[in-house]
Amino acid sequence: MSDDVMRFFAAWMLTHEVADEGLKAAVLRGSGQVQGGMAADGPDAFVDGLAAMVAQRKEALKAELAAGSVAAATADEQKVVFDELRFEVAEMRGRIDEVQGTLETILAKLEAAGPARG
Amino acid sequence: MVVSARSRHITAVFAKRWLAGVWHSRFGLGGTARRRAAFAREWRLAFAELGPAFIKLGQLISVRPEEFPRELVAEMAVMQDSVSPLPASVIRRVVFEEFGRTPEQLFASFDDTPIASASIAQVHGAVLAHDVHPVWGETMPAGTEVVLKVVRPGAAEAVLGDLAEARRLLDAARRLGMLKDMDLHALLDEFEDSVVRELDLRVEAHIADRFAFDFRGDPKVEVPRVVWRTTTRRVLTMERMYGWRLTDLDDAAKEGIDGRALAIYGATAFMRQVMLHGRYHADLHPANLFVTPRNTIAYLDFGIVGHLTKTEREDIAQVLAGMVYRDAGRALRYSERLGVHVPAEKVAVVTRELGELLDSMLGSEGPRDFRHFGLGFLSLLRRHGVEIPTGYGLLVKSLATVEGCARSLYPDIDIMDVARPFVTQLIGESLGRPELLQERVERAFRAAMRELVA
Repeated sequence: MSDDVMRFFAAWMLTHEVADEGLKAAVLRGSGQVQGGMAADGPDAFVDGLAAMVAQRKEALKAELAAGSVAAATADEQKVVFDELRFEVAEMRGRIDEVQGTLETILAKLEAAGPARG
Repeated sequence: MVVSARSRHITAVFAKRWLAGVWHSRFGLGGTARRRAAFAREWRLAFAELGPAFIKLGQLISVRPEEFPRELVAEMAVMQDSVSPLPASVIRRVVFEEFGRTPEQLFASFDDTPIASASIAQVHGAVLAHDVHPVWGETMPAGTEVVLKVVRPGAAEAVLGDLAEARRLLDAARRLGMLKDMDLHALLDEFEDSVVRELDLRVEAHIADRFAFDFRGDPKVEVPRVVWRTTTRRVLTMERMYGWRLTDLDDAAKEGIDGRALAIYGATAFMRQVMLHGRYHADLHPANLFVTPRNTIAYLDFGIVGHLTKTEREDIAQVLAGMVYRDAGRALRYSERLGVHVPAEKVAVVTRELGELLDSMLGSEGPRDFRHFGLGFLSLLRRHGVEIPTGYGLLVKSLATVEGCARSLYPDIDIMDVARPFVTQLIGESLGRPELLQERVERAFRAAMRELVA
């Protein structure tokens, strides 16, 4: 392996190392944004907060993979869609209840008015 | 021109209150602050004296801090919508007209003593005679306590009649060169919309169902279940909730209610409404919110509800991120997308002043005060002649109210800290949209290259 290729991989590793350290520092700063304890403000603080949130998601994803529950997450997404459908159907049932109430009202008023004359 | 007796009465009440305002402000010599406070108080008293339409109008003014002076908004916010109750016989007649049956034929029992009596409706207790399957939630078995919210007879006619009178008086006041600074016609239009909605209780019932669905699986939030079989335009039957109002928390504390946890949870629930569901309770005040013995929060009364599209939610998240992270440029840039147009020549000065406001109001140690910041921000925009869309002002006011409600439970709550994870997550999620990636990745790459070769 020539020295050029070695230098290329060394540069590549260095880039990753610097990026990784930068990201870890951002996650650390973002995680420190607790009540009354913000170290900084402005656009950088927002990026740190976002980095911390992404890191949390990464940990959650690792845990899901370890537990083999990624498929369950998909099932949760399906459940949301089915819940929406269930709600729409339930709302229709509510409307039918309302209509039934109206029919009972009409019937009660007709009965109170006495038999219709032919 | 024919002047009605009602019109003369309204004019007389305003004239009387105006004179009282002049007197209490020492003929304007007591200083601007004293004059404004005195007149705001007299306006509030006039509205209360003139009845339902004006009470409702006052409540609308209280959620429009961007349109009206701060003192007037504060006065209108404390106006209670409570009037002398109607005799039970009148309410029974409405129930009979709506259902063709007496309350006893519809329910296992009905209580003639009202629970509450407001300008538009009166509320009575009852007990279910049969099991009821609500749109969302557990079945309510026979024997479950419910409330009947009944629109007062003549309320619609009185309110709409007063509205017409108010329009006539407004035109007259304009012709005389008064009230130049306030867009009262827009307020009256909005008022008419909201009151017409409120007079049809089925609208509120649908919103309650939707809220119950939005908070499904959330053990800390309760929404009363609706009984559709006995709900019409003029009668709303829903589950009775017991608890403590936020003005009455001493008793709650004695019962071991965890105020801190509920304050944080209540504020979080509001953020979920705004950021996730795009529907939020825009009429929160201590009377519309209960803390229950089960250590939960119960929402009541869904008269005013704000709606937001997905794009609006993302833009609002960006504005809030600007506030949370004290990034004035971001807050203004995304406010523009929500209809807050700052003229190009004023962008620099408004950004600077907003930055100063963020530093002074939200930069201090300890819990930050969103209410003062929010109202200060709206006032800053007004001072620079920037028009503020109604929905934008309503949201700022709602956030400030949520902060107030949460602080009555737990004074040290920091609403900005509650908002932070929501805004960060919503913005983070929006980053993956293909159109945004297409727009931003090229710029991000160029910026990275600029840094590398600098």
